[in-house]
Amino acid sequence: MTPILVENLVIEYKRAFRKPIRAVNSLSFQVGKAEIVGFLGVNGAGKTSTIKGLMGFQPLTSGAIQIFDLPVGNVEARSKIGFLPETATYSPYLTPFETLRLYGQLNGLSGKTLRHRIEALLEEVGISDRARTLNRQLSKGMLQRVGIAQALLCEPRLLIMDEMSSGLDPVGRRDLRDLMQRQRSNGVTVFFSSHDISEVESLCDRILVIHQGRLIAERTVSELRGRVRSVEDYFIAMVQSGVDPLCEAAA
Amino acid sequence: MTRTMQICKAFIVAGLLETLRRKDLYVVLILTVLMVAGAWMFGFFGVRGLEVFIRDVTLSAIGVFSTILTIMIAGRQVPEEIARKTIYPLMARPITRWQILLGKWLTASITSILCFLVLAALGRALLMAFGIPVGPIFYQYLLLKQVGLLWLSAMTVALSVYMTPAANITICLILAFGSGIFTRFTLLWHGETGATGASLNFLYGLLPHYDFFDLGAKVTYAWPPIGAVIVLSLAAYGILGSFLWLGVGWLRFRKAVL
Repeated sequence: MTPILVENLVIEYKRAFRKPIRAVNSLSFQVGKAEIVGFLGVNGAGKTSTIKGLMGFQPLTSGAIQIFDLPVGNVEARSKIGFLPETATYSPYLTPFETLRLYGQLNGLSGKTLRHRIEALLEEVGISDRARTLNRQLSKGMLQRVGIAQALLCEPRLLIMDEMSSGLDPVGRRDLRDLMQRQRSNGVTVFFSSHDISEVESLCDRILVIHQGRLIAERTVSELRGRVRSVEDYFIAMVQSGVDPLCEAAA
Repeated sequence: MTRTMQICKAFIVAGLLETLRRKDLYVVLILTVLMVAGAWMFGFFGVRGLEVFIRDVTLSAIGVFSTILTIMIAGRQVPEEIARKTIYPLMARPITRWQILLGKWLTASITSILCFLVLAALGRALLMAFGIPVGPIFYQYLLLKQVGLLWLSAMTVALSVYMTPAANITICLILAFGSGIFTRFTLLWHGETGATGASLNFLYGLLPHYDFFDLGAKVTYAWPPIGAVIVLSLAAYGILGSFLWLGVGWLRFRKAVL
């Protein structure tokens, strides 16, 4: 079963009396089991639209997405996904414990199993001492940790994370990287978008670069390490020219 | 079905906690204090011969406050999730959009019914304190009002996925308080026959009738209880109407770009 299979994906935003905006254009890629893939692109490149498409939040204009060989939006497929949204906002009137309890119950968990799972996760993401504090009294980084915990709650086989380390301090970022590595060693696939190139470089097996809705590069990090001076320079050169510098060099 | 019940229960528990912490119930308590203060004034000046008037004021206050609270509570259920983007982690769960809508409706309904029951219990206690009887029809009033709040919550939740929160609340307030007026307005032409009569009758059936669930006037004028068949028919109309409204909301919500 392929965790993510995207074929000729097109996503357009309709506008009244005007030409629709094409956010994603003929995008195709695949993510294999236990792979960590970084999804890069400048602001407005189409990363969040693609992720919304993967989660079934955004109707596809054309093309197809399959999650574990099931069509996107399928309830069974969603039971295997852990999702971290771009903005970590959770009900300001609930505590992290209650927030996770709500999401756990929606995932079909209950009773002691759920309580133990929540306690373990809050410990793992480092906010067990704030488990009973209202979300509105938590910092952005702490809310991001709540978000990571909710994404891991149902023991997903695939993690989809939009700007996963947003708001985290350096220690939090390192802990998150370790957490993702542990997830991968348990056979979990991780697909995430990020603007932090060093994070992508240290964590990913492969990167996908999207520019103006099109996939312009798909490289393994080990391949890049031998061929470019720094991944950051490579990325900046690519988004400025709109083409993969390594393809250009080969030509 | 069991899974849907579990999902709804999760929404209701979280919704009630939010309501408590938002201090929505404080609003009910403030309104209650106002009612007590008003009643105290009646007590101060004496209530002899004013039984009908006091029943009218008490039941009108309960009706108005519970209607406004219901619209405010139901009107924010879905739009607030969308505005603060908490809808994404919800929709990432293995649940359908219909289950989200159903859960939100039940949360709004149960919260509103609780607020109504608090107000009604206080109103009843005040009337008892003044020695003003209400008769068994009061219990029919309680039952039908709860069905009415289910219906009103469903309408407000459904319309909230079509329009902005401010527009939705305005429209729902007009429909809730204006439903009695629509009925009277339509009845003006009730004598019409042929195509005009049929159209007007169709319009009468089509317009939302929140007023059907309000037996407040009958309680005020100490009517005898109404027939069980009528109560059951109205309850069925309310529950069917609630699901029709939810269906209207789902038509939009199932494909909505969020």
